Amino acid sequence: MTSIVHIPAEETLLAYAAGTLRAPEAAVVAAHLALCPESDRFVAELQALGGALLGSLPPTALAADSLGRMMARIDADGGEAGAELPMNDMADLPEPLRRYPLGPWRWLGPGTRVRTVGVPKDGDCRVLMFSIGPGRRMPQHTHDGVEMTLVLEGSYRDESGHFGPGDFEEADTATDHQPVVDSDIPCLCLVALDGQIRLSGLVGRMIQPFVRL
Amino acid sequence: MQQPDSAELGRLIEAVGLNRDRAAFARLFQHFAPRLKTYLMRAGAAPSAAEDFAQEAMLTVWRKASLFDPRRAGASTWVFTIARNLRIDALRREKLDSREPDITELPDDPLTPDAILSGADDTIRVGSALSALSDDQARLIKLSYFHEKAHAEIARELGIPLGTVKSRLRLAVIKLRSLLSETQ
Repeated sequence: MTSIVHIPAEETLLAYAAGTLRAPEAAVVAAHLALCPESDRFVAELQALGGALLGSLPPTALAADSLGRMMARIDADGGEAGAELPMNDMADLPEPLRRYPLGPWRWLGPGTRVRTVGVPKDGDCRVLMFSIGPGRRMPQHTHDGVEMTLVLEGSYRDESGHFGPGDFEEADTATDHQPVVDSDIPCLCLVALDGQIRLSGLVGRMIQPFVRL
Repeated sequence: MQQPDSAELGRLIEAVGLNRDRAAFARLFQHFAPRLKTYLMRAGAAPSAAEDFAQEAMLTVWRKASLFDPRRAGASTWVFTIARNLRIDALRREKLDSREPDITELPDDPLTPDAILSGADDTIRVGSALSALSDDQARLIKLSYFHEKAHAEIARELGIPLGTVKSRLRLAVIKLRSLLSETQ
């Protein structure tokens, strides 16, 4: 694997460590952390800072029966975590992604497929996985808010540079990028996306009303 | 009762993980639950919702205690990450952050030497890096742990554009990162 060049902005890692990112964005950042020791180390330090802040907070009085209620809950709980979701069918995914249910692959155009990743949505923001053939462009989509992309396999290029496995790109409403796959294998990437995908071409326009992603 | 220090908190978590030790768990609850409640209230949650959140987080502590590894993170850091993960879900479900935070209620507590010293080594390092930032920078970073929308409040309070607050925060985190890499 080539080394990771593009990492999330410091303030994005801070928002992840603090827990203020939306769930779909946090899932994409968590997958990046599994691939990038440098980002992971910084996040560990920001989490340690969170721990220190938590420890320094003044306590707020709990409800009178709080401890009793808690002890009753752990006794009833039996100490077992809820059944974990089964692993999904993509064994090569980074560990944080293995237990998200994956939707069926859907055809978006020549060489272009997409499947949903079962991270809880936040408004319109959700996680999609794209597989895009060599030389193809990413499908166009409307940009509402921030979009985060993590490359899992292959690579693409846009005006911000070349993005390979583990690389992370953040685009906001001002960005109008059209990445082109420049690897000789399909580019597999994970995207936290707010906007709607616009299918191009005649067939795309014909099936558009039926595609809800 | 005296506040347990970080090593003691770590031993309590291990006792829960190894022996399902209820007394150890009760002590952890008494230490962390009131602080978790404060954490969520400062993020904009109502007291009853913050109390429920503290219970959920502590239930996760009970369930996952056997996964705690004191070589990887201090006790407070481990509990913080549990709360953080729950909060990402809670933000989505209940839109905890839909309430405007009152910036005058947001924390301005210094990270006291006690709090820093009670942490594991990583916490000490991070705490001292934070204290090397300017007051404004440290404040911006600490606010980020409670409320992302606090940025808009700061912008209004200081009469500067939101973009300026964001770029100041960015500079502050970059500085923090370089301070941390110097001490490694």
